[in-house]
Amino acid sequence: MATSKIKVRRYTHSAKWIISLSIFWLLLSGYLKPLLLGFGVASVVLVMFVFNRMQRVDNEPQEFGTWLQIIRYTPWLLGQILSSSLRVTKLVWGSASEVSPSLAKINVETVPEARRTLYANSITLTPGTLTLDVDGDEVTVHALEQTSIDELKKGYIASKITGIWGENK
Amino acid sequence: MLLLLDIISGILLVTGVFFGLSGAVGVFKLPNFFTRVHAASVTDSIAVILIVSGLVLQTPLGINIAKLLFILVFLLITSPTASHALAKSARHGGLLTMSELEKGDQEEKAPK
Amino acid sequence: MTALYAVVCIAILLVMAIALARAFYAPTVYDRILGVNMFGTKTVLFIAVVGYLMGRPDFLDIAIVYALINFIGMVAVLRFFEYTAPVD
Repeated sequence: MATSKIKVRRYTHSAKWIISLSIFWLLLSGYLKPLLLGFGVASVVLVMFVFNRMQRVDNEPQEFGTWLQIIRYTPWLLGQILSSSLRVTKLVWGSASEVSPSLAKINVETVPEARRTLYANSITLTPGTLTLDVDGDEVTVHALEQTSIDELKKGYIASKITGIWGENK
Repeated sequence: MLLLLDIISGILLVTGVFFGLSGAVGVFKLPNFFTRVHAASVTDSIAVILIVSGLVLQTPLGINIAKLLFILVFLLITSPTASHALAKSARHGGLLTMSELEKGDQEEKAPK
Repeated sequence: MTALYAVVCIAILLVMAIALARAFYAPTVYDRILGVNMFGTKTVLFIAVVGYLMGRPDFLDIAIVYALINFIGMVAVLRFFEYTAPVD
């Protein structure tokens, strides 16, 4: 019965993609004439055909994140971006000798593997810290100040992500 | 009510422009390549968020709000990707960060 | 609001000019790419604000297209320079 479960999962996965692609088409075209809607249906079908073929090659269906979790995460991330932008702006207008750029490797064992992209992108998106490399369980981070490295090592982004999406395994 | 919206979106637009200008100054002022990436990321994240939300408050409800939000989400997803690709290729190209030059090989050996 | 949009437009143009200047006068090739990338994102914002200044929100479509092209172009240039760029 495991195979039928996988099949059901694959169908719901395709359905989610079809719905989001259709919404994307409507957003970009904005017309509801039958001819243009027909073009939209044709392009969605074409994209799904290519998508299924590619899935057969890499065999790794990517899950959509649940909206509820993203909605819980985004406001916190926006707050972080605002506060660290203020810090970087202060550094920019201050004298150039105040910057203390530093580089460190940070362990991300606790973050689930599927969320590591989100983790690395959150680090890069907050000004003042920049992900250089993701390698196994370690992330190489460059920061404008030593203090932001210390904060990352204490795991303030990681604990937020694991708080919302759960720990690794 | 409409006046209040105008004031809020005006504040958002002006602060967004301020962050954009300080990022642009930082791109010239900061001492080395990797620190300049940080300054550019200020203009890519907070300035974009503030300016686009200032525009959203001026838009009547409809498809244009969806388009603005799409621009916002798209820029917020692609700009870290672009800066990551930039930093990675700079390391492959042999640019070291300032702390590496000072501390020698304490944290990281020279890139391959 | 029109005056404010005009001010915002001019300020974004100033930021774009600084980014272009960085692209012209830069110590390494990566600084130039950084400047061009910044120029691209600011162009997206500029097109959107100009649309509101002129009262034609259709400009948002152009902004979307520009955002897509800018990202693809950045990634393509970086793929090209990742292993071939000389450091001077």
